Amino acid sequence: MTDIRVKDLHHVYPGGVAALQGISLEIRSGEQVGIVGQNGAGKTTLVKHFNGLLQPTRGEVWVDELDTRKVSVAKLAARVGYVFQNPDEQLFCKTVGEEVAFGPRNLGFAPEKAEALCKEALELTEIGDRAGANPYDLSPTWRKMVALASILSMDTPVVIFDEPTTGQDPASVARIARVVAALRAKGKTVITITHDIDFCAENFARVIALSQGRVLLDGPAAEVLGQAETLAQTYVEPPQLTRLGQRLGLKRTILTQEDLLAELGKKQ
Amino acid sequence: MSIVELRNVTYQYPFSERPALEGIDLRIDEGEFVAVIGPNGAGKSSLCYTVSGFIPHFFKGELQGSVVVGGVETRQSTLAECVRRAGLAFQNPFNQISGAKYTVFEEIAFGLENLGVPREEMRARVERMLERAGIADLAGRSPYALSGGQQQRVALASILVMEPQVLVLDEPTSQMDPIGTREVFGMIKELAGRGLTVLMVEHKVEWVAAFADRVVALDGGHVIAQGRPEEVLTDPLLAERNFGLSRYTLAARAALQAGLWPAGRRLPVTLEEAVEGFKAAAA
Amino acid sequence: MPEKLSFYIQRSSAFHSLNPLTKLGLVFAFIVIAYTSPFYWTATVIFGLGVLPLAFVGRVQREFLLAALRLLVPVTGFIFIMQSLFLPGGERELFHFWVFRVTVESVAQAYLTVSRIFVMISAFILFLLTTHPSALMTDLTRRGLPGTFAYVIISTLQIIPQMQSKAQTIIAAQRSRGMETGGSLANRVRALVPLVGPLVFGSLVEVEERAIAIEARGFTSRLKKTSLYEIADTRLDRGLRWFLLGLVVLSVAARVLAG
Repeated sequence: MTDIRVKDLHHVYPGGVAALQGISLEIRSGEQVGIVGQNGAGKTTLVKHFNGLLQPTRGEVWVDELDTRKVSVAKLAARVGYVFQNPDEQLFCKTVGEEVAFGPRNLGFAPEKAEALCKEALELTEIGDRAGANPYDLSPTWRKMVALASILSMDTPVVIFDEPTTGQDPASVARIARVVAALRAKGKTVITITHDIDFCAENFARVIALSQGRVLLDGPAAEVLGQAETLAQTYVEPPQLTRLGQRLGLKRTILTQEDLLAELGKKQ
Repeated sequence: MSIVELRNVTYQYPFSERPALEGIDLRIDEGEFVAVIGPNGAGKSSLCYTVSGFIPHFFKGELQGSVVVGGVETRQSTLAECVRRAGLAFQNPFNQISGAKYTVFEEIAFGLENLGVPREEMRARVERMLERAGIADLAGRSPYALSGGQQQRVALASILVMEPQVLVLDEPTSQMDPIGTREVFGMIKELAGRGLTVLMVEHKVEWVAAFADRVVALDGGHVIAQGRPEEVLTDPLLAERNFGLSRYTLAARAALQAGLWPAGRRLPVTLEEAVEGFKAAAA
Repeated sequence: MPEKLSFYIQRSSAFHSLNPLTKLGLVFAFIVIAYTSPFYWTATVIFGLGVLPLAFVGRVQREFLLAALRLLVPVTGFIFIMQSLFLPGGERELFHFWVFRVTVESVAQAYLTVSRIFVMISAFILFLLTTHPSALMTDLTRRGLPGTFAYVIISTLQIIPQMQSKAQTIIAAQRSRGMETGGSLANRVRALVPLVGPLVFGSLVEVEERAIAIEARGFTSRLKKTSLYEIADTRLDRGLRWFLLGLVVLSVAARVLAG
């Protein structure tokens, strides 16, 4: 059980840019949260507080009983896994297998447990057959999967993805969606920053929209993603099917294909 | 009159085992907006490098067939001449910053300095470009201090300001927010309307469908389909090969099976088409 | 990524508007004279009546004094103490303690060394504060410096803050994977491989893509390049440069004559 509590969080970068201006929210154990908003809205700055990479200028962030101002990043790493946007900024081992084993070893897991976790992570990301390969011989798409696996193998209760679908082809986006679904099934908390609003609608039950360092909207996906006018303030527009549903005059906010068919079926 | 003409083009990178492009035939007319779709590894970036002359001038390896841009065989000209005719912006915006300039304004002027454009004209062109690309407020900032999406706008503006005949773009909006993406597509469409020819690699099918004149689907180094967006993006072959389709097409395909989409009606690729089709089904 | 990649401070002043080459000439003249002049107090006078007042003329006195305080005072202070303590010889003893013997001669020599270093570094600080690197390179390119050379200089100046910021990102990514970076020496050494690997690989990719990006901007075009900024080179500039050259010649001549 891991809850994240953010209280009146402010962050000012050296140089004076106020990236976060008073954010309060709570993410409960097992929630699937999508974070959206325009370039520069403060999305990455916010989530970097969840594992202590950034320290609040004012306010506080708690991960369960741990005050992120007082605990090291390495210690928080056992609770919160963070997949960076660019895999090339973290991969360094000669083989995929070693890369995925790096995190569990840092956390001091017993060898049998570490091995089982690595195997599971490789299977989840569909790179089980590439464990012996050098990560840099793989295409960028597959390197992304290695980066994902190297965090999943740490078996943290919370997993953060920063723009996981950027530059990925549709097959890879579908693969990432399967990973998110598997984590949900295991009861993990998943927090994802994304510009891909359709991906967001289909995979995350709760959506937080940030704008200029503040929370613009926060609630169930159907509630947040239907508000075209408010979302436009932060350069986001509703998902394709949501817009379609609105144009067809459907009462419910449509997020997925199933929603649409069910609603149209009812009408007929 | 075609401004880009590829005839039976095959290219293999040095040390690679199979050709990146194989037997490509492609003609693009002046003012046409062509989108290229396909899975990673399909040869999309190689196609961009070929049209802009980096293949064969920058990447070695063997280029077979003929590549003619603006009436000139790329092989016969220098790389500098090739990029004047066909400007290239690619995905990673950070690596496209020249590293020689301290502000966005200077960064955009860099290409014009290299082309020997007189100072007064240079200033005017950069100012117009900043306005048009929606980055006038960033003019005095360091290009390194910007977000990925902002850097992508700078990278695009830095090429557009050089006024190439053909604009080659390799996933130019990957880090942009949704409305930012729509704005950039709108800007490119407008420029195409004034005679600029555009070749753009893009995964965002919804915008490809709404803005492109023609779609080229690449897979395994081959062109497997090309034509109007509504033809190509509803081609069952693409669905079989795991190409991404727009949510409208996918939803309508499922609706067809459930009897909620009019039988015999072409599947939609844009919002407008989907609205019309579903309304017709309800009526 | 920091917003500022150079020390340059944009202000309008008579000193700012001098041609970059004139300012560079001034720096070198100050240094050469400080080191060659046979007169003991020359360096002190150059600093007191040259560099320092020019910092006020250039309206960068605050930044100048801060930089001098942070960088120069510790460095020169250290050198002054070491030389005072360890320079051998000297007749007139000031004081001694333990194994050290400080003489008037060693202090005088230490002061001379320090005053010259002071001129050298402070003149460069003044130059960097008041001259934009692009302006310098544009001017030198116009005078015949190859464009590629100028590009290499400027991009190298920018590469250090870039590498720093990249290294910070990589370290953040590895710490998120539970890697300890602080504490013992062993921890720090262990943290090196996960940092250097991505840094080197990233640089290789970057070099290729940057080369493509530069080519795409017509960098190797054979057309005659122009520049966004007009760099003024007035009669005052030319006159000043000749005057400085004269001073340098006089100083060197005085040194040679004084033996």
